[in-house]
Amino acid sequence: MSPVIEKMTSRERVMAALAGEPVDRPPVCTPTNVATVELMDLVDAPFPDANRDGEMNARLAATAYTELGFDTIAPYFSIIQESSALGCDMQWEQKDNWPTVRMSNPIWKSSSDVKIPSGFLEHPDAKAITDSIRILKQEFGDEVAVVGKTMGPWTLAYHVFGVEPFLLGTVDDPTETMKSLEALKEITILYGQAQIDAGADVLTVPDHATGDLVSGEYYRRFLMEMHQEIEEELSVPLILHICGATVDRMPYIAETGMAAFHFDSKNDPVEAMEAVGGKIRLVGNINNPTTLYSRGPEEVRAEVNAALDAGVQLIAPECAIPLKTKLENLLEIPSAIEDWVAERGLN
Amino acid sequence: MPITHEGLAREFEFVSSPGERKHISEAIDGTAPIMQEMAYELIVGNNTEVDRLTQEALANGFTANQLLDDGLLNGMAIVGVKFRDNLIFVPEVLVAARAMKAGMAHIEPILSASGAKPAGTVIMGTVKGDLHDIGKNLCIMMLRGAGFVVHDIGVDSSPDDFIDAAEEHSAEVVGMSALLTTTMPNMGRTIAAFEDMGLRDEVRIMVGGAPVTQDFADEMGADAYGDNAVDAVDKAKELVLLLAELKSS
Repeated sequence: MSPVIEKMTSRERVMAALAGEPVDRPPVCTPTNVATVELMDLVDAPFPDANRDGEMNARLAATAYTELGFDTIAPYFSIIQESSALGCDMQWEQKDNWPTVRMSNPIWKSSSDVKIPSGFLEHPDAKAITDSIRILKQEFGDEVAVVGKTMGPWTLAYHVFGVEPFLLGTVDDPTETMKSLEALKEITILYGQAQIDAGADVLTVPDHATGDLVSGEYYRRFLMEMHQEIEEELSVPLILHICGATVDRMPYIAETGMAAFHFDSKNDPVEAMEAVGGKIRLVGNINNPTTLYSRGPEEVRAEVNAALDAGVQLIAPECAIPLKTKLENLLEIPSAIEDWVAERGLN
Repeated sequence: MPITHEGLAREFEFVSSPGERKHISEAIDGTAPIMQEMAYELIVGNNTEVDRLTQEALANGFTANQLLDDGLLNGMAIVGVKFRDNLIFVPEVLVAARAMKAGMAHIEPILSASGAKPAGTVIMGTVKGDLHDIGKNLCIMMLRGAGFVVHDIGVDSSPDDFIDAAEEHSAEVVGMSALLTTTMPNMGRTIAAFEDMGLRDEVRIMVGGAPVTQDFADEMGADAYGDNAVDAVDKAKELVLLLAELKSS
């Protein structure tokens, strides 16, 4: 960060940080989202409807900027919009629970089953997000970065094949697994491009090849090249998101060409910065279930400072937050960044 | 050299802690070659071979308990260590679990019919809003292998589901799993529901799941945190003893 940078808009700040360029202060980013029950009440846009209606979705998504002072707006709250459009068995839940895919009832068994339904992008649950992005771009224009989201092939595979059958398949028939991932990658690109066409400035690509489930070697073998291909196909900066312990695969992730990697609090920020070796920016990694959900602003501030001290370029909660997270804890993130910058006389 | 099967001896080398090496080698030492072969085939996830060896061993007069203790559980002990030490991950554990299931399909009916006293009764479920079940299912398999009666209430289980099952089965231990940081708080809500119903002292509660930590378990008021399926069995054993002590004092 350069000491003399003119004040940037939120959008300029995020785009510069993702490009590795100087910023007036590190941005507060939401590669996943920061929807909470309190914010739903504030703008009368409750779950599950806010996931399925573009206008309501935009109203809730905008609160990240208007109420919390984050530098991004991320309208795709969950990880299930494409899977619903593909025909997965859905559980939409209530206001205080995340919608989810019933992965115990998978819709497909093999790569030959993978077919993108005609009218996929017009399915109401796919269209809700593209509609929302258009509304947000119209309302916020160049002021704030609108971050879309398109699921990676690995995450889609969990949804359409079921987690256990898919992971067993990686051992039983890795060639078939690659065929499935290749076919699913087309959905990632199709939906990502639709969001770019709608005006998304940035896309998050969640692809949960997490260290809690598979090895770093799995990432290299099954996904690294595929992520490079996705990066080549989609023209906006991409933020790869993988939960859990990921330091062992960060050197591979750093080779994908993606703009940034959104990482989890299970990884020490100093170790993470060393692992990526300056080849990719990092976004993260404030702990959700303990710090943001259960603790107070003081603990949030300590984690923000630790990430900034380590050199993490964009600060964010580690993943989608518990829906009853206290607003004061979320508000503390931008405030802590401002103070960190001021204390160092950086702007 | 306590281990005569070449493949199993190689797998044993992945066990690095002196205490665990002693414990596992003592368990394997002197076991029949077919048991060592069964343990090895389980570790490498060969369910067809485990199925065949289980039937062969039973036909040759080995008891169901011998097969469980000397074959399957010795194999799973090494799988557990390799998983904990990040030498293998969930896909490799799943194929080992599939092999264990193949063996248990022959052994479980015999053990159930024997009327042996169970190690304890456990309710297992994934919390409300969370549909992940791999971790929970691995824990259930290991608990059953260790002699527990386990009632699986499935995924997306509300606090009432846990309470009803605990009361219905007079469970000593309630185990909750979560894979999402967004659903983890439902562990705390379930524990609070046990308190509200005046049932908190009747059961011991353990939690686990990829994003769950000891700190979080403490924060939610759980009695134990299981870091993995093998650890969950140890914790369940401790909790059963603890509850018995509490109730007798």
